[in-house]
Amino acid sequence: METSFALTGKGYVIVAADTTAARSIVKMKVDQDKIKDLSPHLLMAYSGEPGDTVQFAEFVERNIRLYQIRNLYPLRPAAAASWIRRSLAESLRSRKPYSVNLLLGGYDTSLHTPNLYWVDYLGTVVEVPFAAHGYGSYFALSLLDRYHDPEASLEEGLATLKRCIDEVSKRLVIDPGKYKVKVVDKDGIREVEI
Amino acid sequence: MPDMASLAHPQQRAFNPYTENGGTILAIAGADFSVIAGDTRQSEGYSIQTRYAPKVFRLTDRAVLAVNGFAADGNMFVKKVKQRLEWYRHAHAKDMPLRAIARLIQTMLYARRFFPYYVYNILGGIEEDGTGAVYSFDPVGSYEREACRAAGAAQSLVQPFLDNQIYFKNQVPAPGTSHPAHLPLPTVLSIVIDSFTSATERHIEVGDGLEIYIVLAKGRTLHGTESIGGMQELTTTDDGERVFVVRRDLKKD
Amino acid sequence: MNSILQRYSGSSAGGRLSKSVVEDDSDFSDAMWGSEAGFGTLAKGVPGFVVPSVPDPAAFLRLHTDDHADPSCRIKIQHGTTTLAFRFQGGVIVAVDSRATAGSYVASGTVKKVIEINPYLLGTMAGGAADCQYWETYLGMHCRLHELRNRERISVSAASKYLSNLVYSYKGMGLSMGTMICGWDKTGPAVFYVDSDGTRLKGDLFSVGSGSTFAYGVLDQGYRWDLTDEEAQELGRRSIYAAGHRDAFSGNSCNLYHVKEDGWKFIGNYDITKLHYEGPGNVAGSPGHGYGYDLRVEGRSSANPPEVAAQA
Repeated sequence: METSFALTGKGYVIVAADTTAARSIVKMKVDQDKIKDLSPHLLMAYSGEPGDTVQFAEFVERNIRLYQIRNLYPLRPAAAASWIRRSLAESLRSRKPYSVNLLLGGYDTSLHTPNLYWVDYLGTVVEVPFAAHGYGSYFALSLLDRYHDPEASLEEGLATLKRCIDEVSKRLVIDPGKYKVKVVDKDGIREVEI
Repeated sequence: MPDMASLAHPQQRAFNPYTENGGTILAIAGADFSVIAGDTRQSEGYSIQTRYAPKVFRLTDRAVLAVNGFAADGNMFVKKVKQRLEWYRHAHAKDMPLRAIARLIQTMLYARRFFPYYVYNILGGIEEDGTGAVYSFDPVGSYEREACRAAGAAQSLVQPFLDNQIYFKNQVPAPGTSHPAHLPLPTVLSIVIDSFTSATERHIEVGDGLEIYIVLAKGRTLHGTESIGGMQELTTTDDGERVFVVRRDLKKD
Repeated sequence: MNSILQRYSGSSAGGRLSKSVVEDDSDFSDAMWGSEAGFGTLAKGVPGFVVPSVPDPAAFLRLHTDDHADPSCRIKIQHGTTTLAFRFQGGVIVAVDSRATAGSYVASGTVKKVIEINPYLLGTMAGGAADCQYWETYLGMHCRLHELRNRERISVSAASKYLSNLVYSYKGMGLSMGTMICGWDKTGPAVFYVDSDGTRLKGDLFSVGSGSTFAYGVLDQGYRWDLTDEEAQELGRRSIYAAGHRDAFSGNSCNLYHVKEDGWKFIGNYDITKLHYEGPGNVAGSPGHGYGYDLRVEGRSSANPPEVAAQA
């Protein structure tokens, strides 16, 4: 089962997703990037039904880009989250809904706040200080209740993420394997090694 | 006349020896008394089978058992508990203590672990140390001593009321005061009566009649509650503990 | 009747079941007339069970009691729990919640999920409450018989093996228990996980129940062998709180026990809502404030306005 985490800290959001692409009992790929850079300050980790995930992520990516081309400025995280939620909600009521769960991490350059949105395939959105999807959430959420700090430095934030990853690989029957970790802050998006 | 095809292929039917006969029981323990009550309506689906089927039974002068769920199993179970208590009396020339009755009920229920009695039991009475006690059981015998418990059809209506009135849940005492650990008998009786009149209003399987058993510890009197109408004493020994029953009407619609 | 007899006569459970099948439960042993009431059958070996006269008694039981398959079935057996136990330098910590649920109804918030088998042995309760209560009490009787026969206390290993073998003999009949047998014997502190599948595991740290993953999340991260007594008790409490907070089927209160060389000691009962807002109060290892996330991060913000913007 796919697992993704995200957490906010002082002026940043960390988004992490495992890199395994599995089909049935087979690992097809171990270096899959499941986090899309939607705009200079917006990240989206996606998981769910194979096929739907990439299709929906690319659909979102193109539309967010289109908005930026047309208006010369990108959507702020809250607005992007609203638009994506609406897309999922409309999809859910269509003949063939996308079955995709998301974590949206963005940095609002006007308000100077990091924003994190937990989104599921039903179109539920909630803004949270930390979030997780997949079986990993059963282990990580209580851990984050205990250790998360909204004012943590990036190093401290990454240390907390490491705790989550280590806990899940320790306890989950199927170790999700390696993770791709991306950070978004006032300077934009970058990938970090963990 | 059955057609030959159905005779050629015998059909298997599910063996279903259970039904649900409605009603509600409840028990509250005081410092030196215990109150055990139940309504007397017995129903199946939307039909009332009888307006008077007791669900609360005197076992000894210090123990009263209330049973709720499947009436046939309940009556059978009470019969067998009474039988075992009589044998105990013959062997030991005394009544079985309450905590021992509680354990006996656990083992009797668990003996039917693979063919359960579909009954929820609440045992109330007086312990050997003179305190009021309530034991509640699940159908296969897990049990616990508590201060109060409601079971049966209106459990989810009555228990929250009891939590508020007996345990003072979600109540803040006035500054400089505290909630009492045990309530006096008249207060408990009015809470029991209110529980059943309210459950009767809001649950279709509750009503017709109410039987309230009161068990008093050695030396304790009824003071203040003798005046309640329809009270009858059921005590049979001179051990000191006394049992009373109060019968009242509930709405019959 | 004979077909049922044959069905079970081959297994080790057969002896226990067949008697009652043939004789019906109105057949009481002589022991029942005396003071052994209840466990009196022990005098003759093992207790007998009544089974329904159907081709597959286990399927019958499943039909009427399994609330996962059919939520409308009549006899509800409680599920949903968080229990944990871990071994450390200072003994064993055992912590459990106290909630019993029947569907979404909170049937009880005061369940004792730690079963005091004897002054040196504790068992935890997850799954069927009656199964755990009954068989762990039964185990306690056999531990006492072991003491009388062998002039020494039973090891935790042997006690847990006894329970494991016992529930294994009923495998497939519908028993449901996930328990940790904890204690102190000649080998020091010991924890064994035993469940109704017949699994028996020796280990340092276990958590069982629907809230176990949440408890593990906090427990694993805070666990070290050289924890002090105070730190260990706090970790047990904090982990049960985490599960009570995140798992809807767990909660109400936390019961905490500490097993040392001279037997177990009850440390306390802690209301989980109180732990959230006020913490455990004035006890060893207390952080001095509530465990709640919102309380812990109150006034802290992830916003990071630049200096100029802050002044404006």
